[in-house]
Amino acid sequence: MSSMKPVILIVEDEFLLRMDSVEILEDAEFEVISAANADEAIAILSARSDVHLVFTDIQMPGSMDGLKLASFVRDRWPPIKIVATSGHVRAAAKDLPEGSVFLPKPYRGVELIATLRDMTGIA
Amino acid sequence: MSEPGSDEYRELFEHAPCGYLTIGPDGRITKVNATLAKWTGFAPDQFIGQRLHQFLNMAGRIYYETHIAPLLWMQGSFNEFALDFETAAGERLPTIANAAERRDTDGGVQFTALVFIKAADRRLYERQLVDSRSELRVSLANERQTAELREQFIAVLGHDLRNPLAAISAGARILQRSGNLQNEKELRVLDMINSTVTRMSDLIDNILDFARGRLGGGITLHRAIRPLEPVLEQVVDELRTASPQRVIQTRFEIADPVNCDHTRIGQLASNLIGNALTHGARDMPVRVGAKTNGNEFEFWVANAGEPIPDSAMEKLFEPFFRGDVRASRQGLGLGLHIASQIAQAHGGRIDVTSSPEETRFAFSMPLAQADERIGKP
Repeated sequence: MSSMKPVILIVEDEFLLRMDSVEILEDAEFEVISAANADEAIAILSARSDVHLVFTDIQMPGSMDGLKLASFVRDRWPPIKIVATSGHVRAAAKDLPEGSVFLPKPYRGVELIATLRDMTGIA
Repeated sequence: MSEPGSDEYRELFEHAPCGYLTIGPDGRITKVNATLAKWTGFAPDQFIGQRLHQFLNMAGRIYYETHIAPLLWMQGSFNEFALDFETAAGERLPTIANAAERRDTDGGVQFTALVFIKAADRRLYERQLVDSRSELRVSLANERQTAELREQFIAVLGHDLRNPLAAISAGARILQRSGNLQNEKELRVLDMINSTVTRMSDLIDNILDFARGRLGGGITLHRAIRPLEPVLEQVVDELRTASPQRVIQTRFEIADPVNCDHTRIGQLASNLIGNALTHGARDMPVRVGAKTNGNEFEFWVANAGEPIPDSAMEKLFEPFFRGDVRASRQGLGLGLHIASQIAQAHGGRIDVTSSPEETRFAFSMPLAQADERIGKP
């Protein structure tokens, strides 16, 4: 049955937030992988082909922020869905690739689960 | 000029409380009185035969050559102009001067008479007026710029404070979920972390709203008609979690739909209840009620404890007003201010009554805008 679980890649630089989101989503029956920045995320996506959705923070240190990561993922792996989150750049939501979803921070666990279930097609 | 028996006139000319000077048709000084000689420190015979501009400072010379001389030539007189002498000691002697030409019947210039009044004080005053006006303009502009910067800073700060706070909150949730913390002390610490996070997050929300308000955005409403009670219940639940040792009693009887911004009304409720928890008697319940009466939606919060002093009453809703409470519970004094802004944005208001028995904040707003009510039973 585990192969039926949608695979979510969480990209979040804040350790505690990443750990919290991983647990929330695991409890909600998702399979979860995590990355601390865009470079790690791209390495993971290049190595495995079963990721359904990337859930990324927009503000991240490093060569690529969440917006750049989102458009990179869209170009390179078009079927992968994208959900982005941020505490401030609400305006940046329109800079996301089409079909992506913006989830403003702070979000509650139930909202995150509902959004991801909706996007991965699980009722 | 040299009529007989004119000693008195001569005396008046020489020692008048102003400087006199005449210039001949050739532009050279012909007479100078003792007063001007004294002021400038030059002997009268040092003037005779010289040109006036030799006794002026550089600015005075330029002004004399470019403005005064041509105007005199054209108009025959020129009044109330400022002219600066340079004294024998090298100091500036500011004066106000009038000049008039005397011409003969053919129109030829006989001489030009000039009279000078010492104008150090007046000129200084005028200078200061000009200076203070431009200083005022500069400081007003600075003030405006500083205020803008300050508010932008507050907005950025608020956003940046949210992230680490979210991390702390996430950490507490992880510990809670793990179920590894069992003893009472550990669980109490966890509760305290959660309640502190809630308090801090409310403060940040208020800071951001205040900054937004001041930055010109104001409070914008996203009105909707959907049940309001769950929003109020959630606010009360959060505050109960944050203050587990306090009792909050509720009574909600919302019969009519309320067209409002639910998030904002939730924030107003949170601010009013938070205020009652902070200032009310700790061993008495905080009572919260909401109801509709056909025309109005009412929401009120009541607490027991010391009444609000009269002196504080009129300042309650001003930004950064803080009552006397323990330092650890001190907020920024923005909670009531923002609650009142939210009330106003909804066309409503907050009334306060305070007596030794009860302090009550009552919010009321019309259920529909006047134009929407027309034609409806």
